[in-house]
Amino acid sequence: MTEPVLQVIDLSMHYTTRQGEVKAVDRVSFELAKGEVIGLVGESGCGKTSVAISLMGLLPDNARVVGGQVLLGGDDLLAMDEEQIREYRWQRISMVFQAAMNALDPVYRVGDQIVEAIETHDPNISNADARDTVDRLFGLVGLDARMAARYPHEFSGGMRQRAVIAMALACQPDVMVADEPTTALDVIVQDRILRQLKAIQRDLSMSMVYITHDIAVVAEVSDRIGVMYAGRLVELGDTSQVFNNPIHPYTASLLSVFPSIHGEKHELVTLGGDLPNLIDPPQGCRFHPRCPHATDVCRRDEPPVVDRDGHWAACWNPLQQWRATSDQ
Amino acid sequence: MSQAPETPAPGRDSRLRGNDGEGGAVALTPWQIRAAKLRLGLRGLREGWAVFLESRIGVLGLVVIVIFALMAISHPILMATIWDDATYNPVTGYAFDEIEQPAPPSWRHPLGTDPLGRDILSQLLSSTSSEFILGLVAATVTVSIATTVGAVAAYYRGLVDTFFMRLADLIVALPGISLLIVLSALFELNLFILGVIIGVLGGFGGTAIVLKSQALSVSVKPYIEAARVAGGGRFHIIVVHIIPNLLPLSFLYMMFTVTGAIFSEAVLSFLGLLNIRMSWGIMIHTSNTAGYLTGGTTYWWLIVPAGASITLLCSTFYLVGRALDEVANPRLRRQ
Amino acid sequence: MANYLARRTGQIILTLFLIVSVAFFLVQAQPGDYTAVFAQNPDLPPEVRAQVQAAFGLDKSLGEQYLVHIKNSFTGQFGVSFQHYPRTVMEVITERLPRTAMLFLTATVISFYVGFALGKLMAWKRGGLFEYSATVSGAVLFTMFTPWFALMMIWIFSFQLGWFPLGKFLDPLLWRDAPVAANKVFNDMLMTAAAFSVFVLLAVLASRKAGGRRSRQWLLPALVIGLVMVPVAWAMSGIGYLALDILKHMVLPIFTLTLISFAGTMLLTRNSMLEVLREDFVMAARAKGLPEKVVRDKHAARNALLPVVTSLVYSLAFAIDGSVIIEGIFSWPGMGMTLLQAVRSEDLPLVMGAFVFIGIFALVAHLIADLLYAYLDPRIRYQ
Repeated sequence: MTEPVLQVIDLSMHYTTRQGEVKAVDRVSFELAKGEVIGLVGESGCGKTSVAISLMGLLPDNARVVGGQVLLGGDDLLAMDEEQIREYRWQRISMVFQAAMNALDPVYRVGDQIVEAIETHDPNISNADARDTVDRLFGLVGLDARMAARYPHEFSGGMRQRAVIAMALACQPDVMVADEPTTALDVIVQDRILRQLKAIQRDLSMSMVYITHDIAVVAEVSDRIGVMYAGRLVELGDTSQVFNNPIHPYTASLLSVFPSIHGEKHELVTLGGDLPNLIDPPQGCRFHPRCPHATDVCRRDEPPVVDRDGHWAACWNPLQQWRATSDQ
Repeated sequence: MSQAPETPAPGRDSRLRGNDGEGGAVALTPWQIRAAKLRLGLRGLREGWAVFLESRIGVLGLVVIVIFALMAISHPILMATIWDDATYNPVTGYAFDEIEQPAPPSWRHPLGTDPLGRDILSQLLSSTSSEFILGLVAATVTVSIATTVGAVAAYYRGLVDTFFMRLADLIVALPGISLLIVLSALFELNLFILGVIIGVLGGFGGTAIVLKSQALSVSVKPYIEAARVAGGGRFHIIVVHIIPNLLPLSFLYMMFTVTGAIFSEAVLSFLGLLNIRMSWGIMIHTSNTAGYLTGGTTYWWLIVPAGASITLLCSTFYLVGRALDEVANPRLRRQ
Repeated sequence: MANYLARRTGQIILTLFLIVSVAFFLVQAQPGDYTAVFAQNPDLPPEVRAQVQAAFGLDKSLGEQYLVHIKNSFTGQFGVSFQHYPRTVMEVITERLPRTAMLFLTATVISFYVGFALGKLMAWKRGGLFEYSATVSGAVLFTMFTPWFALMMIWIFSFQLGWFPLGKFLDPLLWRDAPVAANKVFNDMLMTAAAFSVFVLLAVLASRKAGGRRSRQWLLPALVIGLVMVPVAWAMSGIGYLALDILKHMVLPIFTLTLISFAGTMLLTRNSMLEVLREDFVMAARAKGLPEKVVRDKHAARNALLPVVTSLVYSLAFAIDGSVIIEGIFSWPGMGMTLLQAVRSEDLPLVMGAFVFIGIFALVAHLIADLLYAYLDPRIRYQ
């Protein structure tokens, strides 16, 4: 592996709510090499999106990072003030939003919104050059260049998604964070956009953090997979390793309901029981209340890391050999 | 408070079902269901109250309203105990103990007397209850009409909806006080009639628009459909399922109506267009027509108590309304 | 867009028809005979009374009277004013409507601009001391007992500081030897104001057409040129001192009206802005690395503007009421004072005429708000 572009070290992020501190992200660490795609997967509410907005430094008023570092080319984004981090956003790290439908400002032409991003980060570029760039980007994502002069409400859902991807590419970022970019689309469009995104990523050898609850999508785009549960990263490894030999029982249960992107679409992975309350998470392993293999030690102490040639998981009772039908 | 105690369709809400331990539900008696509903409703109220308490302005407003209510109550008590009618009657009294009228504040007349020798404090206190009555009449009429119109328009849609909404647009576009001034040229307006007119204008006007859009979002909920499928009559659905869900918002708009009513009354009284014996607006009108108001601060007691009371009570109801709005509208809340 | 406008215009004409009808039925419903007022008025010669009765068709049936009334209203024949006899209602109104328009428009534009700017900041700096103090003082100004407030303004600025005259439209002493009528001067001022606005608007549109980053590059030069040209032109006209007199009488009522009406826009903008700030495109704008000021003004505030413009109807009605009260207190002889005087002297034809025209005024303002909305929201503009 080459020098990592992005390093996330012990990232923890909390929300302050009326009910108490929600520990949404708890000591998450991973690295991302140049040209690599890492897929973060987990149920809704497991902290995936919280990781994404922490990477961008786009925290809402009631959220704060309580610890850790986000190193982008060696510079810690979390230690920067608003003015410094502004320079990094979009130029070095950009984002494709979860609800792409609403990520475009309804009162401006789509092209202008992309030009705006380009001109902000390159004050010397001429307006004509910026517009040429937009035309090129539109071509890249498969949109007619004439659409740049249209307003968002004139775009279909899939077209908007493409426009948002084009926007995220505008400043040739090193890292792109894609937060459930295709969730709201129908399966056919979803598949097409996914392939295109993957192709663009490969051509530009851009690094990408791909966030989704849909493990089938992760298999298609990622080189490595990180599985999140209740604010923790519980397993991380190469896509094939995780798929063929999951270590953590949670990963195994996710895989057991593996839906195909070409077949029936499952919105949510369903397991028995609910996600734990993140204000007062369970002691020991956070998955123990739902885990079929839970023992006393799981309820008491934090699980150790089990490392199998760079493919690791945090578990007391790691699975030895996974058989597709053994669990559940 | 944002979610009214919703009335779930039978069997839809697991919280309302008993559990026999094996996951199978057993039917509950109607009384148990009612008690459960009440518990849910109370929980909603408690949460709403907590949000309301967070807004310092809303709490402050509530305190001010209570103070004004105490003022209203104190007048009959004072009249019955330490104030004699001949001197302190707000309309017919005369302060014989003062040589010149208007007299500045003194121990016997804490806020002085008006140009006609009447005690200002007594006038101020006795007017408080009329303002509350006016506000209550206007708010009740507004909310009764607006809730009905909103629910009916949202349930029937189509022509009924178009008619009421166009009517509301018309009323909203009209300047209300100008209209009341015109009406005062044609009819004798007293406090009660004024309250009813303001209520009718509000009820068919802006409040109806707001409540209709709320009713619309209620009427597409699954339990309304369920009630319809279960054979609930239209009247039954509107009264039992839609209207209860509008009540929190209606209550909120009562606050704004009170502000509008008190304000309008004061302006019309000030202009001398109402057939009312005493009110804060009349107090200022009396001093103004006697030519005391342009004298600056010399005769401050003729305008400041009444003017400040009108402003304070109006803005208080307005601020409480806004605080309730933050309770009812989660999009305005802090996350 | 054309479709939308046609529909709105149609609705407004229908509304006007309703207002006129309401006026008729109100007069019918009032206790006592319409003609009783004529009989009591000693200033009116009997032949005029007969003339009026014929004009209103008072000897005909109710249905016919209604038709006559509708026809009269749409042709502007409201009859003679009792109070200003022998002038007709229309003559009185055409003299006074522009004065109200000037007062109202200036105050509305300023208060909208100020209210929007402050409301935007309130939402942006949520929870701070600024928001609390702005909410409370805004609510107080908004609900302040207007007559009291206006009297205080007169007391402070006219009595104590002596900066402005006590009220009224002009200083009679100054105008005794004036070469032109006050109304002529005032109409010229109105024209100047309109020309100035058009000039600035053209500059803004031209610089937008030119495109690029600075979409307002010609706004400032245009403002400067206009602000120099206008006084120079008036100074050369020889009647500049008269215009200045009217202007001096105008400042305090406009200032007062602005103060009571900006708070509504401000509080509304705050709420609207708070809702927009939760939208994804605001986070996207921030993610793009745009400076905070651009995120706030170009994206958040621009979208927050839409609901505020929609609610302009409420605030316009509120501002019209405000100007009626302000005119009464400052003795500014516009529509509001006309209405009040007509009500006091039971000059029913003038009351009804003023009522219909205030209605028309409100509806035109409504239509302008609609146009503005259609212009601002591309979802309506391109349909």
